[in-house]
Amino acid sequence: MRSSSTAGAAADSAVAPAVEMQGITKGFGRVVACDRVELSVGRGEIHGLLGQNGAGKSTLMKILLGLVMPDAGRILVNGNPTAITDPLIAAKAGIAMVHQHFSLVPALRVWENVTLGERGRVDREQARRLVREVGERYGLEVDPDTKVADLSTGQRQRVEIIKCLRRDPALLILDEPTSMLTLAESRELFTVLRRAVQDEDKTIILISHKLDEIVHATDRVTIMRGGAVVARRETAQTDVRELAREMVGRELSKWTAATAVGTMDALVTPAAASSSSEGEVRLRITDAHANAPDGRPLLRGLSLEVRAGEILGLAGVEGNGQTAVGDLLSSLLELDRGSVEVCGGAVSAGRPGAMHAAGVGVVPEDRHVSGCVLDMSVAENLVLADLGQVSGRGFVSPRRLRAHAERLIGEFDIAVPSPDTPMRLLSGGNQQKVVLARELAAQPKVLVVAQPTRGLDVGAIEYLTERVYRAAENGIAVLLISTELEEILTLAHRVAVIHRGAVIGEMSRADVDVERLGLMMGGQAA
Amino acid sequence: MNDLELIASSAVRLSLPLAFAAAGEYVAERAGTLNISVEAMMLGGAFCAVTGASITGSASLGLLAGIAAGLLVAFVHGTFSHRLAVNTYVVGLTLNVLVLGLTSFLAESAKATGHQVDVLRIPLLADVPTLGPVLFAHRWPAFLLVGIVPLVWWLVHRSRWGLEIRASGESPQSADVSGIDVNRRRRQALLVCGLLAGLGGAYLAVGEVGSFNQDMTAGRGYIVIAAVIFGGWTLRGTLAGCLLFGATDALRLALPALGYALNPQLLISAPYLLALIAMLVFAKSRQGPAALGTPFIRGIT
Repeated sequence: MRSSSTAGAAADSAVAPAVEMQGITKGFGRVVACDRVELSVGRGEIHGLLGQNGAGKSTLMKILLGLVMPDAGRILVNGNPTAITDPLIAAKAGIAMVHQHFSLVPALRVWENVTLGERGRVDREQARRLVREVGERYGLEVDPDTKVADLSTGQRQRVEIIKCLRRDPALLILDEPTSMLTLAESRELFTVLRRAVQDEDKTIILISHKLDEIVHATDRVTIMRGGAVVARRETAQTDVRELAREMVGRELSKWTAATAVGTMDALVTPAAASSSSEGEVRLRITDAHANAPDGRPLLRGLSLEVRAGEILGLAGVEGNGQTAVGDLLSSLLELDRGSVEVCGGAVSAGRPGAMHAAGVGVVPEDRHVSGCVLDMSVAENLVLADLGQVSGRGFVSPRRLRAHAERLIGEFDIAVPSPDTPMRLLSGGNQQKVVLARELAAQPKVLVVAQPTRGLDVGAIEYLTERVYRAAENGIAVLLISTELEEILTLAHRVAVIHRGAVIGEMSRADVDVERLGLMMGGQAA
Repeated sequence: MNDLELIASSAVRLSLPLAFAAAGEYVAERAGTLNISVEAMMLGGAFCAVTGASITGSASLGLLAGIAAGLLVAFVHGTFSHRLAVNTYVVGLTLNVLVLGLTSFLAESAKATGHQVDVLRIPLLADVPTLGPVLFAHRWPAFLLVGIVPLVWWLVHRSRWGLEIRASGESPQSADVSGIDVNRRRRQALLVCGLLAGLGGAYLAVGEVGSFNQDMTAGRGYIVIAAVIFGGWTLRGTLAGCLLFGATDALRLALPALGYALNPQLLISAPYLLALIAMLVFAKSRQGPAALGTPFIRGIT
C-alpha cells in the first residue's frame, strides 16, 4: 500500500480483510476461552459474532482491542500483521469498541464525556460542535450540554457511539449493544450502523446472542461455541433456525464427564418422565418489574411458578435478568411492580431476611461474594443463616456449633480436616457443598440454586447435581437458574427461558426441542 | 477597632490557613480520595516551616519547607493508597498519628527561633474603614489565595487534567476504559492537596503565630474536611465553610473576653455539627463524588 506497491500488491490490499485473526488461542488457567479461532472480517461489512456465554466472543474481542494477550495466533489489520499489545495500538490501528457496560461518567456533561480520554487542551466549543456534527452525520442527535445522568439508556448509548465515532475508527466493535435498549431504539441503532458502513466505509463487528438482530443487521456471521468457531455463514443464506441450532449445538448430550460417570442417566430418566404438575405451587412470581439503582431495567414483567417436588430450570443467555431473580429471592432487590408469593403467602420483596423467613433457601450465583464468609470457619459458615439453633440467651454455644457442623459435614460429605478450618482453604466444590448444606439444613420450602456448578470439577458437579435432584424428590420446590443448558436439561422437569427480564417461553423437559430453545434464548418467542 | 471589627478580622485570619488546605482537599476529594492525612500535611507543614525558617533565617524559605513537608506526606499517602491499594483511611490515620508524634518529639529536641513573614498592607484599600483592616492587611502569603483560588477552580473545571480527575472521582471504571490512568491522577491530585495543605500549615506557623508548638494545628485538618463536606464539594461552598468555621473559632476566642459566658467547648464542636447539618440538608441534592474513598484496582469487569 506504500508508494512502492505494485499493481499486484494493490490488488491484494483491496481484497485483504479489514481484520483477520488467525489461530487465536487463549486460556485462563485450565479453561480455554479461545481455541485456534479464525475470524475474518471484510471491509465495509457488518459482521455478526454469535454465541452463548462462555463461547469466547468477548475474550476474542478483548484480544483484538489489546486488553487481553493471546497465547498463540496473530492478527492482521488490512493484511498487515499487527501485534496489538496495548489498547493504544488498537486505537492507532483504527479499532474501537462501544462497551456493553457504558464507559460514560454520569456526573459529567455529554461533551465532557466525549472529549474524555483525548489529549491536549479542553476546547468546549469544539467538543460541543463535534457532538452535534457527528450526531447529525449519523442521526444520533443529543444535546451536548446535558448531564449524562439525566439521559435515557438509549440516549446514553448514542453518546457512547458518538464518543467512539469521533475518533474516526475504521473498525467498530459493538458488544451486545441492544441489551438495554427498547425495540424502537434498537431499530434506530441498526439504521445508524448501516449508514456508517455504507456512507463512511466503516467495518462493524456486532457481538450478539439475539438471532433476529444478527439476521436483520449483519452481512456475514461467525458462530462460536465453547471457545471455537463452529460455523460461518452469509447472513442472506441462513435463517434463525439454523443459527439457533449452531449457537446451542446440535448434540446436547455432551454433558462432559458427568454422563461418562453414568450416574446422570439414571437420574435424568425418571426426572424427564415424571410429571410433577400435581404438587402445590410453592413459589409464584407475578409480573415482577425492577430497575437497577442507575435506572437500568432488570426485570420487565417476569412471571413464574415452581411447584413442590419439581425442578424448574430457568435458562437463558447471561445478563437477561438471572442475577436479578436470584437477588429478588435473596431479599436483595425491591420490586417496582409485581409480587412474590411463597406457599401462597405474599412476601414483601427487598425487606432483609423476609424471603429466608418465608422458607426460601438460596445457593447464590457467586459463593465468594454472597454465599459464604471466606475468613470464617466452616462451622461458622454452616450456621450463618440460622444462629438460633446453636445459641441460647444471646450466646453461641461452641459445643452445639461444633456438633451441628460435624453432623452436616458428615451428611454432605464435605472434605475438610476439621470444622474449624477457614472456609478459604476449601476447594470450590467443598465450599459450594457448605453453602448447599447450610441452606438445606434450614429445611426450606423453596430452594433457589443459581449457577451451582460454575467453576467446579466433575466430581463436585456430579455430587451437587444429585443433591439438588434429591432435594426436589423430597418435596422441595427447586428453581435452578443456569446459563449452562446441559445442566438445565439434565435436572429440570420444566424449562423456562428468560430473555430481557421476562420469561418468554416454557416447556416441559419431555417436549424440549433444541431448536426452539435456541430460538427463545435468542429472543424469538416460539 | 470596635468589637465587631476585631471579631471579623480574627475570623478572616483564622480562616486563611483553612482556606489553603481546603482548596487542596477539594482537589483531592474531587479525584476520589477522602484525604484524612490533610491534618498531617498541615502539621508537618507548620513544623517544617518553622524549622526551615530557623535554619535559613528566612520566613519565606520556611514557607517552602512547609510546602515540601506537605508534598512528602502526600507522596507517602498516594504511594500507599493509590499504588499499593492500602485502605486510604488507615493510611491517613497512621500518617496523622505519626506526624503528630514526630513533630512533638523533634520540637522538644531542637528549639527553633521564631520567624514570621511580613504584614502586607494593600495601599489605599487597607485604609477603607471597617473592611480595610479585615481584608487588606495580612501577612503577605495570605494574598496568594487571590491567585490560588481561581487557579484551582480553573484546574478542576476547565483543564483536561481537571476533567480527568473529576472522572476518576466519579466513575473510575469508565475513566479507565476511556484511557485515563486513574490512580496516577489521584496521586497527582493528592500532591496538589499536599502542596496547598503544607502551605496552609506553614502559613499558620510562620504567618500567624511565628513559632511551633506541639499539635498546633489541633484538628484543623478535620475542620478542612468538614468544610469540603459543608460546601457540598463545590469550591465556593468549601471556602464559605472555611470562613464560617473561622468565624466560630474567632467567637470562641472573643466571647469570654467580651464577657459573654458561652461554653467554648461547645463552639469547638460547632464546625462538625454544621457539617452534619449540611450533609443532612444536601443528602439528596449534592452528594460527593460517587467513588469518593473507594480504591480503584484495575481489572477487566
